[in-house]
Amino acid sequence: MAFSRALRVLVVLPMYGGSLPIGRYCADALKGLGHAVEVFEAPAFHGAFSALKDLRVTSDRLEYLENSFLQVVSQAVCAKAETFGPDLLLALAQAPLSRQALKRLRRDGVATAMWFVEDFRLFTYWEAFAPYYDVFAVIQKEPLLEKLAAAGQGNAFYLPLAADPAVHRPLELTPVERRIYGARTSFMGAGYPNRRLAFAELLDYGLAIFGSDWDGDATLAPRLRLDGRRISTEESVRIFNAAEVNLNLHSSVSVERLVPGGDFVNPRTFELAMCGAFQLVDRRGLLSELFSEDELAQFGDLGELKERLAYFLAHPDARAVFAEKARRRALAEHTYARRMEALLDFAASRLPGWPGGERDGGQALSGLPEEMRGEVAALLGELSLPPDVSFDDLVWAVRARQGVLSPLETSLLFLDEWRRQYGR
Amino acid sequence: MARFLVVQLARIGDLAQTRRLLAGLARKAEATGGEVHLAVDASLAGLARRLYPFATVHGLPAHGAPGRDAAAAARRVMEARPAFEAVAAARWDKVFLLNFSPLSMALAAMFPPEVQRGYRMHAGQADKDALLRLVFRLTRDRRGAGINLADIWAHLDDAPLDPALVNPPAAPRGGGLGVALAGRAARRSLPPEVLAPIVRTLFLATGAKRVTLFGTPSQAGEARALLRRLDGPVREACRDATGQTDLPGLVDALSGLDRLVTPDTGAMHLAAFCGVPVTAFFLSSAWSHETGPYGLGHTVWQHTVPCAPCLESAPCDKGLACLPPFADPALHRCLAAPAKAAPPAGIVGLATDCDALGALCRPFCGDDPTAGRREALRAFLTRRLAGEAADAVPAESGHDLAESLSLETDWVLPPPGRALAGEW
Repeated sequence: MAFSRALRVLVVLPMYGGSLPIGRYCADALKGLGHAVEVFEAPAFHGAFSALKDLRVTSDRLEYLENSFLQVVSQAVCAKAETFGPDLLLALAQAPLSRQALKRLRRDGVATAMWFVEDFRLFTYWEAFAPYYDVFAVIQKEPLLEKLAAAGQGNAFYLPLAADPAVHRPLELTPVERRIYGARTSFMGAGYPNRRLAFAELLDYGLAIFGSDWDGDATLAPRLRLDGRRISTEESVRIFNAAEVNLNLHSSVSVERLVPGGDFVNPRTFELAMCGAFQLVDRRGLLSELFSEDELAQFGDLGELKERLAYFLAHPDARAVFAEKARRRALAEHTYARRMEALLDFAASRLPGWPGGERDGGQALSGLPEEMRGEVAALLGELSLPPDVSFDDLVWAVRARQGVLSPLETSLLFLDEWRRQYGR
Repeated sequence: MARFLVVQLARIGDLAQTRRLLAGLARKAEATGGEVHLAVDASLAGLARRLYPFATVHGLPAHGAPGRDAAAAARRVMEARPAFEAVAAARWDKVFLLNFSPLSMALAAMFPPEVQRGYRMHAGQADKDALLRLVFRLTRDRRGAGINLADIWAHLDDAPLDPALVNPPAAPRGGGLGVALAGRAARRSLPPEVLAPIVRTLFLATGAKRVTLFGTPSQAGEARALLRRLDGPVREACRDATGQTDLPGLVDALSGLDRLVTPDTGAMHLAAFCGVPVTAFFLSSAWSHETGPYGLGHTVWQHTVPCAPCLESAPCDKGLACLPPFADPALHRCLAAPAKAAPPAGIVGLATDCDALGALCRPFCGDDPTAGRREALRAFLTRRLAGEAADAVPAESGHDLAESLSLETDWVLPPPGRALAGEW
C-alpha cells in the first residue's frame, strides 16, 4: 500500500540484546522507504541501568529501583513522542516501555506497534504487555495468535524475521580475512546446550566455532576461534562469507532433542541467505513457506546433518546453486524493507483513520522559493526523504543531523523558527 | 561436560523437595558426561548421599550449633574452609542457590554472577531470579498460591524433569502404619488428644498390623502421651521408635511403610520421596499447595478457615481456630470412608497429582474455597514456565494475574541464562 505522504516513525530500541540490531535494521528500512524516522537510543541508558546492580542494597530495593528506572526511561520515550509527533511508534522486543507509558501514548493518539522477535515460550511476559500495543507483530503463528487474541490483543499478526541487504551481502575477502574467518564447516553463535552436544559429533568435518558462551567445553575448545569472544555484525558477515558450509542450528536449552524442531525461523537463516553463503539449517515449522527445500539445504536430525554435511563439503557446485537461489529469494522477499511495508500496511488496515491526512506545514518543496528548490531537492536525496516530504519532516531530519550544519540546513531551521514565531 | 552445583542449606524436608531439580540436572549431566554436586549443611551430608547417590555432596557449616559462641563459630567455619575451597575451585555451568538466607548469599559470592541461579549475589549486591521475584509477589496472596516449593526450585533450571518422574507413585510397602509425631513448629502439628482418634481410625481402616511412631528424642514425651490415649489393640500394635534412628535409618524405616500419618514434616517429604503413601494434616501456617507431599497418590487434609495459612512466626490471636475441625468425628468418618462422608466445615480433602507445571493437590472431599484462584494462578504460571506444555492451558485463565503480577523488569530483562547478545 502506498501512503499519501511520508510517515513519521519513532523506533524504540531495546537497551541491549538480539533485538537491538534488528531495531536498527528496521529504522534503516523505514528510512529507505522514504519515511521520517527517529530512533530512541535506549542502549544509551543501559550503563546507568546496569549501575543499579552494583548498589549493594537489598534485593527488594533493587527491584523497586529497576522498575522506577524503567518508568523514567519510558517517560523519556513519551517525551520524545510528544516532540516528534510520530504517526507510529515501533518498539522492538524488550524495548523499555512501561504499561503506564503505553496507556499515555494511546490516550495521546499515538499508534504503537511491537515487533516481538522472540520465542513466546521463552519470553513469557507478553500476555501482560501485548494488549497495550495497537499492533503486535510476532515471529510465530498458532497457538500464539490465538493466545494473543485471548489476552485482548486483536491486532496481532505474523511477521517473520529478515535480513538487511546493505549489511548482509556477499564479500570479497582478503587472504588474511580468509585465514581469520575461514573454515570448512563454520558455526557462528552462542553455546547453547543442544549445540554443544550436536557439534561434538561434527569434529571430523573441519568444524570452527565463532561466538561466546562456549566456556568449559573441553571437546569443542580446540575448535573455538577468536578466543570465544562476542562477534560483531560486520565480523559475522565475514564469517558467513568465508565458510564452505555454515551450520545453522536453532538454539535450545534442552539436551533431549539436539535438533529442536521448533516453529520460528532465526535471523541467521535470512542473513546467511542474503550473504549468498551456503547454509545447512535445521528444519523448522515455518521455514517451508519462507524458503523451499531447493533454496536452503535442511536437516531434521543429527544423522541427516552429518550425511548432508559430508555431501555438500564434497560438492561445491551444489552449494553454489543453493546459495544463489537462497540469496535471490531473500532479496526478493525477506528484506527488512519488505517487513516494514507489511507492518505499515497491517497497521493501515487495522487502525481506523490511520495514518491520517497531510501534516501541517505542507510539502517542503512547494513552499520554498524557486531558486532554493534545487538545493533542497538535493538535500532530500541526501537525507533519503521523498520529494513530497512535509516541511516539518524535513526540518526534523535536519535537526537530527550530527555536527555543524550547512548554511542551507541552517536556513531551513531558521525558516521553521520564523514560521513558528510569525505564524504560517 | 555440564557441571552443576546445587546449594541447599535448609532442612530435611527441603533437601527431599530438591529432588526434581537435582534429578533433572542429573539427567542433563548424564547426557553430557557431566557432574552434579550438592552442598548441604554438614549434619545432612549423610542423608544427602543416601537420597542422591549420583551427586557429589559437600558438607558446609550452615546450621547453628555453636550459637552465639563467637570463637566456636569462627573455629567451625574456618575448619570448613577446605569444603568452601573444593566448591569454589570447580568451574560450574550453573550454581543453584535455593535459600533466601544471608548464609546462602554469602556463598554466592564465590561464583561468577553469570552462572548463579536463584538467590544471587554479585559485588555485594543481593538479587534474585525473575521467577523468585515473582514468587515473592505471590506471597501477597498465599491462599491463592498454588505452586509447590519443589517446582519453584526445579523451574530455576530451563528444562526441569517431568514432575510425574520425580517421586515413585505412592504404594503400600508392607510395613504397617507410621506416625510422625511433630514438625519443627508445634502449632502445625496435631496434639496427642486430636491425633489419637485419627491414628486409631486409620489403623482400623487400613487393616494395618503395626504402627511405628517416629520422632526425635525430644518427642519421646509426645509419643508416650499418644500411646496413653490409644486403646488396647492399637496401642499393642505400636512401636515407639522416637530417637532410635539416624537420618539414613529414618529413610530406611519410612521406605517400608504402608502409609505415614504426619503433619507437614521432613518425614512426610522423605516418605513421598520413597513412594510411601502419606496421609497428612495441614493446619496453622502449613499450606499444602506450597509444601504438600510431592507425587501421585498422597492425601492431605487441609484446613481452610479464613485466616489460613497464617504466619508461623506470629502468635495466633484466633484461639487456634484451625485445630477443632481435626477433632471432629466427621473427619474420622471421612478417613474411614472418604467416598461416603463429608469433612467438617473448614477442612478439605486433597489428593496429590501432577500436571505440566508440577505437583498439585486436587480437592476430592469437602469445600475448597481457594480452588478457583489456584487454578487461575497455575494457568498463568504454566504459561510462564512450562514451554510447549502450556499450549493446552486455556488462554483466558489467569490473564488478570499476568497483568497484576508482572512488572516492567520482567518484560525488559532477558530470562536468566539467556545471552545478553540474544540468540535464536
